Amino acid sequence: MQAAALRPGTAGPGPWIAFGLILAFLLLFLILPVGTVIYTAFVNEVGGLTLGHFANFFGQGVFRESFFNSLWVALATTFFASVIAVPLAYLTVRFEFRGALLIQTLGVLPLIMPPFVGAVALQLIFGRSGSVNLLLDDWLGFTIPIMDGLVGVTFVESIHYFPFILLNLVAAMRNIDGAMEESALNLGARGWRLFRRVIFPLAMPGYLAGAALVFVKVFDDLGTPLVMGVTNMLAPQAYLRITSVGVDDPLGYVISVIMIAFSILALWLAARVMKGKDYATLQKGGSALQKRRLTAWESALAYGWIVLILLVTLAPHIGILLMSFAKVWSFSVLPDAYTLEHYVTVFADANHMIGNTLLYCLLAAGLDVVIGTAIAYLILRTQLPARRWLDYLASAALAIPGLVLAIGYLRLFKGVQLPFTETPLVGTWVLIMLAYAVRRLPYALRSCMAALQQVHVSLEEAAQSLGATRLSTIRRVMVPLMAGGILAGFVTSFITAAVELSATLLLASTESQAPMSYGIYLYMQSISGRGPGAALGVLAVVVVGLGTYLSHRFVERSRATVQAKQEG
Amino acid sequence: MQRSLFTATAAAALATACLTAQAGTVTVLTSFPKELTTAYQKAFEAANPGIKIEILNKNTTASVAYVRELPEGQRPDVMWASAPDAFEVLSSFNLLQSAPEVVNKSAPAKIGNYPLNDPKGMYYGQALAGYGISWNTRYLKAHKLAEPREWTDLLKPEYFGHIAISSPSRSGTTQLTVETILQGEGWEKGWAQLLEMMGNAAAVTDRSFAVPDGVNNGQYGIGIVIDFLALAGKYSGYPVDFVYPSMTAVVPANIALIAGAKNPDEAKKFMAYTMSVPGQQLLFEPKIGRLPILPYSMLKAPAGYPVPQDIAKRAKVQFDSQLSGARYPVVISLFDQMVTFRLKELQAATKAIHEATRALKAKPNARGSELLAQARSLAYTPLVGAENVKNPEFLELFRKSRRDVAVSKQLTGLEQMWADKARANYERARDLAEQARGLAK
Amino acid sequence: MHLNKVSLEARHISLSYGSTEVLRDVNLKIEPGEFFALLGPSGSGKSTLLRLIAGFNQHQRGELLVDGQDITGTPPHARNVGMVFQNYALWPHMTVWDNVAFGLVERRETKDAIRRKVSAVLELVGLAAYAQRRPGQLSGGQQQRVALARTVVIEPKLLLLDEPLSNLDKQLRVQMREELKNLQRKLGLTTIFVTHDQEEAMTTADRMAVLDKGILQQVGSAAGLYDFPVNRFVAGFVGTANLLEGEVTAVDGEMLTFRAPGVGDLTLPRPEVPPALGAMALAFRPHQVSIRVCDEQVDASRLWLSGRVESAEFLGEFSRYRVRVGEVAMVSDQPHYAGLAMFAPGAEVRLGIEPTQVRFLDR
Repeated sequence: MQAAALRPGTAGPGPWIAFGLILAFLLLFLILPVGTVIYTAFVNEVGGLTLGHFANFFGQGVFRESFFNSLWVALATTFFASVIAVPLAYLTVRFEFRGALLIQTLGVLPLIMPPFVGAVALQLIFGRSGSVNLLLDDWLGFTIPIMDGLVGVTFVESIHYFPFILLNLVAAMRNIDGAMEESALNLGARGWRLFRRVIFPLAMPGYLAGAALVFVKVFDDLGTPLVMGVTNMLAPQAYLRITSVGVDDPLGYVISVIMIAFSILALWLAARVMKGKDYATLQKGGSALQKRRLTAWESALAYGWIVLILLVTLAPHIGILLMSFAKVWSFSVLPDAYTLEHYVTVFADANHMIGNTLLYCLLAAGLDVVIGTAIAYLILRTQLPARRWLDYLASAALAIPGLVLAIGYLRLFKGVQLPFTETPLVGTWVLIMLAYAVRRLPYALRSCMAALQQVHVSLEEAAQSLGATRLSTIRRVMVPLMAGGILAGFVTSFITAAVELSATLLLASTESQAPMSYGIYLYMQSISGRGPGAALGVLAVVVVGLGTYLSHRFVERSRATVQAKQEG
Repeated sequence: MQRSLFTATAAAALATACLTAQAGTVTVLTSFPKELTTAYQKAFEAANPGIKIEILNKNTTASVAYVRELPEGQRPDVMWASAPDAFEVLSSFNLLQSAPEVVNKSAPAKIGNYPLNDPKGMYYGQALAGYGISWNTRYLKAHKLAEPREWTDLLKPEYFGHIAISSPSRSGTTQLTVETILQGEGWEKGWAQLLEMMGNAAAVTDRSFAVPDGVNNGQYGIGIVIDFLALAGKYSGYPVDFVYPSMTAVVPANIALIAGAKNPDEAKKFMAYTMSVPGQQLLFEPKIGRLPILPYSMLKAPAGYPVPQDIAKRAKVQFDSQLSGARYPVVISLFDQMVTFRLKELQAATKAIHEATRALKAKPNARGSELLAQARSLAYTPLVGAENVKNPEFLELFRKSRRDVAVSKQLTGLEQMWADKARANYERARDLAEQARGLAK
Repeated sequence: MHLNKVSLEARHISLSYGSTEVLRDVNLKIEPGEFFALLGPSGSGKSTLLRLIAGFNQHQRGELLVDGQDITGTPPHARNVGMVFQNYALWPHMTVWDNVAFGLVERRETKDAIRRKVSAVLELVGLAAYAQRRPGQLSGGQQQRVALARTVVIEPKLLLLDEPLSNLDKQLRVQMREELKNLQRKLGLTTIFVTHDQEEAMTTADRMAVLDKGILQQVGSAAGLYDFPVNRFVAGFVGTANLLEGEVTAVDGEMLTFRAPGVGDLTLPRPEVPPALGAMALAFRPHQVSIRVCDEQVDASRLWLSGRVESAEFLGEFSRYRVRVGEVAMVSDQPHYAGLAMFAPGAEVRLGIEPTQVRFLDR
């Protein structure tokens, strides 16, 4: 069914106004700041265009090194994350396996603990003198320097990001029609060859989507290397340049441009390889891949692997929990003594941070779903020219590291004041909230689009034929029916914003403005602050975990509503 | 309906945001950790209802950049940090305001030989700190290492891979430590010592805090730290201890009024408070662990607490902060290029040298010793000579703005040259040392 | 409930999507109170025309008059034209009551008025007991009734139904057909419905219009279209037809000579208006073609053609034979009685055509 064809005049000004407002928002808070960053990297002090800064950048050993290190770490993380995720995905989809629930949990656990929070705890467990190495040294006489330098960053990021690949791959593999496999079997392929020649290639788009995302996120991550003290990577270098040399330092911008370029490159490559290969072949009446049983031996191996991964994945969570209750934990496998005083400290001193996080993230998430719903509506329900551009622009935020956006804001809004006051805009929390909103918008948009696509247009046309205006239809029919998806998008925005650190580090100035993520970072910078920092981290994880759970429930419930309707 | 609720909340919140940072608020820019700032904030606000303290936490270098970028009237009110150099830099840019009335008359004018307050009267000492060596008792016990006492102890081969230091370019306090050693031993000898010590390093961290933190939780055995960070750890229950080597200085942590501050009058009240008896008493809190400027006769010090005047008397170094400030950019850049970014090569060279030394001790060999001496010389000589670093033109180059593409290029070129040379030297040193070791048969 | 009867007139309506012409110069007048069907295969433009009346499509040329007023520029929510969608479009998040009350709430009617009207219309469609249920809990037929109730309660000028019965199974379809017709008669609303099923159209509509590829083929009553189709398409779409292509070679008084290639010359009575000489097709219905064994006695009033049975299908009420006459395949339906033997494929037979029932189609 075609969307209503609009003749000019019958469309009304509404959609145009919405279009204009959204465009203005994206221009002001995404395009211009990023544009400023890119521009500054190419301009010398008298305003002329130059490649001199880039030459300077690549001329310095330390920057070349940072560049290759970032590249190496991102690639290595993608590799190790794949190593973890692919067998797990295969186990889930391929076998009759009661451990499948465990794997599903694995798919979520790492995501609720932001890597920079986990990194601190991992130091205590896997560090040079951490629990694991102390035990290894005692029993076996050797240690594994898994938390040192770049290797440490790779380790922490891998165990945090592998779910992206796992979830995407499982979804892709579940969509493969069993008939594909059966014909391959019929033609003689089985086991590993079957996997390599038929199943994995068909699941490739899903894998690539996950892998590209992991690459970009690791390449752009500031919090983790910073907290681990690794500075010879691109993101920390940019941060250091901007904060120590100043917002005018051109090298910080050069780094930003490189980061953006690589993010776009990775996403584009992935999209390119996936083009025309939408392998969702599951037909109506078809069934997914056959599930097989595991032999006892295979079962033991599988469980063993899963338990190992589970333990390693849970290490940061356990570590943070222990740290939050530990009195002193030094050079020992477990803390010496336990106490509740860290939580007391947090609730006494830091409850404004919790309030701040709630304020910024609720506003940002609210903004996201309003804009996301509006864009979805404009794209799917109107014929406005160039409306697809709103989608592209909003999604472009995926390729912009939080750090770069923050730098852009600092530069663009330097000297700008909050209307009607004398406070500089860069000193308020408004920019923090906007940075969260802009960077989370692509995810909220996806949720809203998916939700709106599930609402058959006839439901809205029925309302219109009964006399409801456009606005009334949106309010009474469209939004309630999208509710599940909108809520899911809201919650996702909220929980990812709640643990954002990269942009926050640059944009938060005073402590009273600090949200929880910045608070955790601050606490971790002081001697007796480890405990309260960990306690705050636990609270953050609880918030995120709860949010993730709620989000799933909303999506499930809305799916049930739509399905019930269709079955009637 | 939900949307109107959001807009209402947003409007209210925005209004609240605007209302803060007006009169009645003092904004303090500081690199001090939360324990200290929270303690002072609470105590001051309790004693002065109606005035709110707003803390901006930035490390020293970031603070300087931050203040420089803000226009007058928008700046924070108070700058409060350890490193005097940051204050020198701010002062040189006329970003500080004199406020002599805040100074507590009971505080001594000098500590050892070092003036407590800025001779130009732009910033004032608020607390004292010394530099030294901290260690994790469990770690040392497990690795069967002796507790160090002097900087020179840290050159010993048994400490290889157990030491942590933060980069002077990122930590004002470490820069002061490095300067202390350089001023105490002289440029060439001081660098030789530093480089050999750094050869034993496990890590050169980004923030000064990472060192005491690492020592506290046993990641590193030994750390080169400022006293209060170690003491705070010790008194918080961590298994750590601390010593002031004789080559140390006691230097004030400073507080100053920023020029063009939003709220200078109430800011001065805060500054005076920090130097008053109740303000100084806060420094003794176990989690803070700093040395006060007021004599102990006026305060109630805990038993066994270090006495700054005694340490200063013992200290061999009379710290010259002018000299420190003048060669600050050269020192930090040189350290970064020779140590921070070349740590792996330096460690490799040092390891080889240690092994060669041990081998040659057991089986002496003239040629071997010669090679070893060469190796040491290559590895542990600074790339900027003592004469050069006194050259004002040379120093001037480092003060110029990097935004100028030509200057940036020149400086980058120089740094690149140092980096390359350092690497070459270390690799050569390692080769020579291995050769020397090979000869010890 | 007493509703106004309005007329609908479409004048020279043309609509294109890009370069594709979906409706071409459609002219149609629907009388007040009529139950009117738009019939055609998929892609004929019938649904487009319906949606055009509702306001969801815009025509590029022509006028659309409801009760004499051109509603071309009016947005859908202002047209007061009730539409029931093919999938009913009931809102799953609202109860039956709320679904039905929707339009009234939109019109800001008072609570009392809403309660009164909604109860009344639910009674009318027999769903008063289901008021608090959700659409997901109703059967297909019940959902359709809710959709109807929802539309009717706002007292629209026109009622539009988009393939109202195609989602129902056969049994239900017949039952709902009756109910729809009764409801419409009771309310007296001008109703337009779209269907691709000619049986549905014929049994319920007062008049119908046949569309093909965006062009209106013929408008008339069911019998009118069935008995007197104006072209090959209508002949074949409304009921099944045998088409014999050929040419009129001579017109002689009351008779004319028709030459069909491969069959021969046929002499039969000419229609009222004598056709011109030249190309023509004869159309006649299968059930009007009798079939006899070759040597049997035949009724002289019919036209007899010889042929061979190609296939025979037993359909219960009748047997359908495909017979090849010359180069042409013809269909003959014979009523079935138990004990009546069927003709076997390959049998030589003679087909008898009733001349008065033959139609002459020149296009």
